[in-house]
Amino acid sequence: MNYILSFTLNGCPVDVLVKPADTLLDVLREKLNVTSPKRGCDTGDCGSCTVLLNGKPVRSCLTIAMTAAGKHVETIESFTSKDGKLHPLQHSFHEHGSAQCGFCTPGMLISAKALLDNNPKPTREEIVEAISGNICRCGAYLEIIEAIQAVATGVEKEE
Amino acid sequence: MKDGMYFAPTRIAQALKLLAEYGEKAHILAGGTDLVPKINYYELKPDILLYIGELGLDYLKKKKGKLVIGATTLTATLTNNALVAQKASALAEAARQSGSIATRNAGTIGGNLANASPAADLATPLLVMDAKLLLGRAGGKRVVAIKDFFTGPGKTVLKPDELIIEIYVPSVKGRTIFLKLGRRKAMTLSVANVAVRLEMAGDTCNEVRIAMGAMSPTPMRCTRAEEMLKGRILDKALVNKSATEAVAETNPIDDQRATAWYRKKAGAALVAQALLQAASIDD
Repeated sequence: MNYILSFTLNGCPVDVLVKPADTLLDVLREKLNVTSPKRGCDTGDCGSCTVLLNGKPVRSCLTIAMTAAGKHVETIESFTSKDGKLHPLQHSFHEHGSAQCGFCTPGMLISAKALLDNNPKPTREEIVEAISGNICRCGAYLEIIEAIQAVATGVEKEE
Repeated sequence: MKDGMYFAPTRIAQALKLLAEYGEKAHILAGGTDLVPKINYYELKPDILLYIGELGLDYLKKKKGKLVIGATTLTATLTNNALVAQKASALAEAARQSGSIATRNAGTIGGNLANASPAADLATPLLVMDAKLLLGRAGGKRVVAIKDFFTGPGKTVLKPDELIIEIYVPSVKGRTIFLKLGRRKAMTLSVANVAVRLEMAGDTCNEVRIAMGAMSPTPMRCTRAEEMLKGRILDKALVNKSATEAVAETNPIDDQRATAWYRKKAGAALVAQALLQAASIDD
């Protein structure tokens, strides 16, 4: 049976036809062409599919799409402003070379945004904790931590 | 092709009626952190998904001195709730070490128990606090002690038409400690985990509970090890003897996380460390 799922995606109301066991990741990537959440492990271990659900980070690969009914879903697509200006976290990741292959980056950015939304001045330890559920197989952790720290402290990277 | 059905009832009675009607065909969905990987890897094709996240079972309250935890209370809530911190600090600690931020925002206490992983992080603290589970079904309910709840890996006494409604945690004296050994800081299943509760009268152990996870087909109490400590003056030697006895009661397996041999070694060290911490004896 197909169901009509209604939720808010990056501020816009959407209606989409889904099957009961479709995950939010399936629906975002394959039905709504929102491809920033990546399919990594499909078990919740890697963090590359992380999105914000009502402001909190969750794994979209573990979220049955129907359970998002009436809720707010945010992905990286909402980060960039209409005139193409990058979110401070995106800019900082760019400046610090925090993406090598880039596959983990959307999940890292979501986890970082969720942290800074609740705790604008985190310690390094708190940053590490916030991204501990996100795996970067290129090993760019140091650059990622530095990029988040730079946004939190408002210090731009020196050229 | 059949795609199954989805229900998201808003009243408990409706949910129980659906369970009574569909029985084993219905898969109860809360946070999905254990259920959905099975769907993603084609191990499970649910005929019916029964989502219980709209039932209003996400609550924590005090009732006659007991802590009452609704079954769909998020693991994240357990990490930062004042009542849990005060009444069940080991449960808060186990919640903090469970999964990652994103899975703690979805996973529930009822789901962690019903999934019945031998490594379920929230089970061992509840075992040492003698927690009880309220199970509902259409036209009835029963209360089961958590020590009688698990029957094997992924198996519990829950009948196909039953749902965990809430968890009762009695007010306990003494200190509770939870320790976990994993291979990664986040998103890791325990190599071994331990919870202890220790009530001292001076240097003497008045009451003690020891529970271990990932060491047997189910999370379990180590009662012989407890008996060695009750009424005795605690010192390091006795604690070490009890820890050795605790792992002798377990029956761990070799898997991708650790060998049985290593689990016994590490498990004994964890039990000793937890008891010494609870008794404030310097290691």
